Amino acid sequence: MTEVRVCAENELEDGQAVAVAPDATGWSDAIAVFRDGDAYYALDDTCPHEEASLAEGWVEDGEVECPLHQSRFDLGTGKVTCLPATRDACTHAVAVRDGAVWLSPGVPASS
Amino acid sequence: MSVLVVGAGIAAVATATALRDGGYDRPITLVGDEPEEPYDRPPLTKAFLRGEPVARLRPAGWYDGQDVTVRTGTAVSLDPDAGRVALADGTVLAADTVVLATGARPITLPGALVVRTRAQAEELRSRLRPGARLLVVGGGLIGAETAASAHELGCAVTIADPDPLPLARAVGPQAAAFLAGQHAAAGVTVKAARLDTCADGRAQLTDGTELAADVILLGIGVRPETALAASAGLPVDDGVLVDARMRTAHPRVYAVGDVARIAGRRRVEHWDHAVRSAGVAARAILGRSPEPERAPWFWTDRYGRHLEMTGTYDPAAEAVERGSIADGDGTVFFVHDGRCVGAVAVDRSLDIKAAQRIIDRRVPVTAEFLADEGNSLRSLVRPR
Repeated sequence: MTEVRVCAENELEDGQAVAVAPDATGWSDAIAVFRDGDAYYALDDTCPHEEASLAEGWVEDGEVECPLHQSRFDLGTGKVTCLPATRDACTHAVAVRDGAVWLSPGVPASS
Repeated sequence: MSVLVVGAGIAAVATATALRDGGYDRPITLVGDEPEEPYDRPPLTKAFLRGEPVARLRPAGWYDGQDVTVRTGTAVSLDPDAGRVALADGTVLAADTVVLATGARPITLPGALVVRTRAQAEELRSRLRPGARLLVVGGGLIGAETAASAHELGCAVTIADPDPLPLARAVGPQAAAFLAGQHAAAGVTVKAARLDTCADGRAQLTDGTELAADVILLGIGVRPETALAASAGLPVDDGVLVDARMRTAHPRVYAVGDVARIAGRRRVEHWDHAVRSAGVAARAILGRSPEPERAPWFWTDRYGRHLEMTGTYDPAAEAVERGSIADGDGTVFFVHDGRCVGAVAVDRSLDIKAAQRIIDRRVPVTAEFLADEGNSLRSLVRPR
């Protein structure tokens, strides 16, 4: 699986996320890459509850809260931690290397 | 030990979820009077009317996996001392703890529809054909969302509400004006009147308007389903009265969601309150200390726009605007004595998420800071 360069290491501020389009990854959904503290995570961007971009959600304490209805997902495992979503979000591996953030689309994050 | 939840809506499912998440390993039973797995009600006025399937609250298999029993039945009596609930079919269920999550029932009139259950929403959906004339009575959350969905489906929609700014007491005049203006902008007729009479597809409004309607939908409020509690002698006053931990006057019985009213406060009918009150009750049942309360929160979706409110609207507070609600892209913060007490936003969810945390953490704020779009709200609550 080819890695995709997301951005430079400090381009994302703490709590920020960016959506990487399917064109760039070959994945079926856009992929949201999050920075929480000094850690980076990636989940399918579309909230499994309703059409909303998780990259526009609130990132805090290892979780992202969906912008629409406050479903929350664990950034590392994709697991739902708060209703109304009932399906977990799909994770993707992220690595920081050579001053850049790299995404491995379709490779589950090792939690 | 065991828990019996009367009801199978969001408050009931959230109770079971919070109990299991909290490590409760004894039997949990949900008994609801609708013949299907628990589903989410908010989409019934929106996605469901547009033809999407009902949204299950939990995926198939969740209840078995969590060892939560869901059964259909209508509870007719409650014996708190014995922890017994009798169903209409003669079955008697017993548990150490009974949680009343019986919800509320819409006010009805002969000849008019209401929408709260899936069956009601299905009937409404089947009649909202393109060109159908729909009269919506009441411009609150249910009425306005249904009106917007029906308009999208090609119905000719009229809304009757004597209040020119529905929801103003909940969200403040700025956001209420935006919401009210959406109807006219979409071509939906709004009459400042109540429904006087309706029969045989004709409706008479209190302003003298007479109109033909293929469908009349009432969205004029609900009554809490307190009969079970009242029959058991529990104190009831616009809801089953509970303390801040959702405990009724009887130590075995709790009440959560729409049916519960915390003594000294107004009853709350929002989805988020149902979930949170269930979590509060579960902690009490588990013998855990309460968590700090979070600022209340609700949303409404209509005509493709998403409004959220957190905290409370205080008419005495200063209204500080960031962006422009009137233009459909802004947030109004209600600031009192240097603290944010509430905020409402159109299509700005992140502002509301920040505001909820600003309120919860009692972060000092100034009008100047909040109004300036160059200032990060996140910086107020994520000081790292």
